[in-house]
This record gives sequence, structure tokens and C-alpha cells, in this order.
Amino acid sequence: MGNDAVEIAINTIKLVVCFLLIVQAVPVLVWLERRGSAFIQNRFGPNRIGPLGLMQLLADAVKFLHKEEFAPAKAVKFLYYAAPVVALVPATLAFAAIPLGAPVHWDQYVFPLQGYEVSVGIVFVLAVSSLAAYAILLAGWGSGNKYALLGALRASAQVISYELALGLAIVGIIMTYGTFNFGEMIHAQEGPLHFSFMGHELVLGFLPNWGIFYQPLGALIFFAASFAESNRLPFDLAEGEAELVAGFHVEYGGFKMLLFFIGEYGHMIVASALMATFFFGGYGLGFMTLAELSASVATVVQDPNIVSLVTSLITFAVFSVKLAVFLWIFIHVRWTLPRFRYDQLMDLGWKTMLPWALFNTILTATLIYVGHL
Amino acid sequence: MSMDSFLFWFLAFITIASAVTVVTITNPIYSALALAMTMVGVSAIFVTLGAYFLAGVQLIVYAGAVTVLFVMVLMLFDLKHELSAFSRGQISGTIKVATAAALAGLLIGAIVWTVSGFERVVSKPAAPDSADGMRELSHALFTKYVFGFEVLGILLLIIAVGVVALARAKGGTHAQR
Repeated sequence: MGNDAVEIAINTIKLVVCFLLIVQAVPVLVWLERRGSAFIQNRFGPNRIGPLGLMQLLADAVKFLHKEEFAPAKAVKFLYYAAPVVALVPATLAFAAIPLGAPVHWDQYVFPLQGYEVSVGIVFVLAVSSLAAYAILLAGWGSGNKYALLGALRASAQVISYELALGLAIVGIIMTYGTFNFGEMIHAQEGPLHFSFMGHELVLGFLPNWGIFYQPLGALIFFAASFAESNRLPFDLAEGEAELVAGFHVEYGGFKMLLFFIGEYGHMIVASALMATFFFGGYGLGFMTLAELSASVATVVQDPNIVSLVTSLITFAVFSVKLAVFLWIFIHVRWTLPRFRYDQLMDLGWKTMLPWALFNTILTATLIYVGHL
Repeated sequence: MSMDSFLFWFLAFITIASAVTVVTITNPIYSALALAMTMVGVSAIFVTLGAYFLAGVQLIVYAGAVTVLFVMVLMLFDLKHELSAFSRGQISGTIKVATAAALAGLLIGAIVWTVSGFERVVSKPAAPDSADGMRELSHALFTKYVFGFEVLGILLLIIAVGVVALARAKGGTHAQR
């Protein structure tokens, strides 16, 4: 945690802030989703309460808190109440390990702008988010409802299937940068596009040095699989209103339902953050390296502590913009595409994405081997 | 007691308590969930040893995939029947606990018997930044231990093929009862 009281205090506060970030982003995302869907479908959406309808979120939250506390008679009580809590944990744990900005150097301290630093961050995030299937299964079985159980089986089978494609799609980018660490990966994506291939130095100055230019196929598979991982349209077979009423959370109401909601949006946020970190330079500015940025900040202010702080805030803003773009794509896709049929979903996962991800891995390995020869 | 040893005893207690629960509890669902908890505990112990990569893989493979499949399959069973048939009887319960105890005894005996011939070496924990450790691990896995590694892979393949063949032989999903 740290060596003295100041460091321990700051690190503890950071953990709380990371948790609150994800919980507080959810109402905003819900508002964005409702306004965005209205925009796409040529409606108004919530626009009565507060400016732009923003207070609608507060009204919703209060409503959820005041709903009757209710558990179905056939439910297994312990699992029924445990499931919403379990749903919240993986997304928040995973998000806390993703760097949101450049580390702050303040006197002798170094504070990374993330909940905690894990040296093999990618493995950690994959490991923690693979536990999300338990929340779905617990909710489906614990509710004592056929529809809930069917929804849970669908959702967990989907999550497990697409985890493979997701993991394999990342292997390419891990091989390209040769690291499991988010910080090192972001550092490797700084500056304009430059790489050495078979002894030739190649520089493409008009493009940033981002992962997507090395791994376009991997990026595509990763992004598509992350839609399925977070149970969003076009892969929201778990909900399938016409077939399953509402899926695994059909027996949940009030704040318990809201916890599932936060978990689902949390997965979306984690997926967007990973997408930005792997393929779009993370908190990096694209053409400008971190050293150049902090040098240009240093021309305005002198104090090195303030320079470091301002640099990190700028990188945090850059990261937030990238995150927001991907979140908006998530929402836009949901209101644009129809739902897959279940056999199509499994075909896409196992027969299309997995072979292509394997091909991408082999291709990357070959290119790296040939390129470094 | 230092922070590290407290953490170790705490995690060891959680892991062993959930492992005992796997064997003794009557409800198969809770049993599978306790197994998942055991995996999480083992992975946390790996973290305290500085083996972050192993901890992550332990979580992904065992807690995230294998045990999820167990839970999924168990949820489809009619558990009332299973409960009365398997876990209620005193004789079958005794056999269950005795089997687990015998296995644990065998494992402990094997470990003690193997280790007794060695010198005791207290190694320092791996460096916090385990990128090099991971490189060493994969290097050893694909050079020195490549035979065992590949044999394990083939074993898993045989199991998968065998399961499909068994299911097919009985008519698969279209079986006539």
C-alpha cells in the first residue's frame, strides 16, 4: 500500500475513487443510452426533469431505493441475495487495474493513476472478469424460476464461448509488444508510427503508433467479442424479451436489479477501456510522447510537481475521450443492429471468430519471427 | 505476527475451509461453489508468493472455466433426487469423507516422502515485476519440459474425443430412452 501515512492514505482514496467512478458512470450512461436511442429513433427521450433530463437519473435512483424489498417464495435466499453483489465485483476489480492517466510524480512519491498496479495487468483483468459468469448462474438458479435458469444458461454459455475468442485476439497484441503490463504497452504506443521490419526502419509520420495499425484483425475480433462478453446487442440473447421475459434477472426488482445493471455497464466500461488501451494508445496523446507533453507543460509552469500533475490530468482527459467514443459505439450499435439467433451466435463465436483469432495469432508470430530475422 | 504471515494463514484457512466444505456439504451446487472459492483462495496464495501469472491462469482456467461448467451442468439436474440418493445416508457419507481423507493422506505422504530426501532451501520470493519470471517459465515449459507439456495436451485431446465418442455411441442428443 505504501511506505508512509501519506502514500497509504492516497492509495486508499484511489481505490474508493475507482469504485465510485464506475458506479457514478452508470447513471450517466443510462441517460446517454436513453437520449441516444431517442435520437436514433427520432424521439425526445427523457427531457422533463432538470436540464436536458439529467435529473431523471436521480429520480430513478430514488425510485429504485424505495421499491418493496421482495424475494420469490421458491428462491434460494442466500444465492438470490448474493448474486447482485457478485455481479458488481468483477467489473469494478478489473477497472481498478487499468491505468487512466500518466503517473503523478509528487516530491518523492509516485502515484499511478489507477486503483492498483498489477505487473501482469492483462492476465489479472481477464482472470477477474472471467468470474462474471458466476453472478449470472447464481442469479438464474437462485431465483427458482425456469425462465431465469434458461436465461442464465444462455448467458453463461455465451460468456464462456466468447472468452476464448477474446483471449486469443489479445494474444496478437501481447506478442507485438512483448508485455503483459498496461503501462509498458501504452508507452510502446507513443509517437508517430514507426517500426523495424527485416532490418529496415520504417516511419509513417501521418499515423500515430497505435496497436490497431499492427493488429487490425485482432482489434475487430476483440471489439466484437467484448460486445458478447458484456451481453449487449447484437448478442443480448440472455435477455431475449420475446422468449425469456427478461433473462436471468427476471425475478429481481428495485435496487438488486440496479446492481445487475451497474455490473453490465461496468463490463462495457472495462471493455471500452481495454479497447482504448490495447489498440488506441491508452492515455497517450497519439503523435506526442509523454516526455514531449510534459516538456511543453513545463514551458508554462515551473514547479515539477505541478507539471507532473497537469500532465497526468491532460492524459486522463485524453483517456476519457477515447473511453467515451467506444461507449458511444456500444450504445449506437445496440440501437442499430437486430439480435442474432442463438445458433448463429454460437456459429459466429466458435466457427468464425475463434479460427480467425487463431489465424491472427499465427500470422503475428510468423511476421515477428521473419521481421526480427 | 507480520502482515505477510497473517495474510498467508488467513488465505490458507479460507482455502482449506472451502475445500473441506466441498466434501462435507450435502447440496452439490454449494459444493461446486465452494470448489470455486477454493480455486480463488489458491490463486490468492499464488499472489502472495509473487507468482502473478500463475495466479491469473489459475483463476482463468479453473475458477473461470472448469468450475463454471460444473455449476452449469449441476444446475440442470433434479437436485432433490441427487440429495437423497447420494448425501443423506450415513454409510455413503462416511465413505465420501473417508475417500477424501485417504486421498489427502496419500498426497501429504507423497509430498513428505519426496521432500525428505532434499536439503531445505529457503528461496527468496520472486521479484515483484515478474516479466522475466514469466519468460523463464515459458522457456522452461517449451524446452526442458516440452515432452510432459505436449503429452498433457494429447491427454486432454484424448479425453475430449472420448467424451464425444461415448456420447455419440449412446445416440447423443437424439437418444431414445
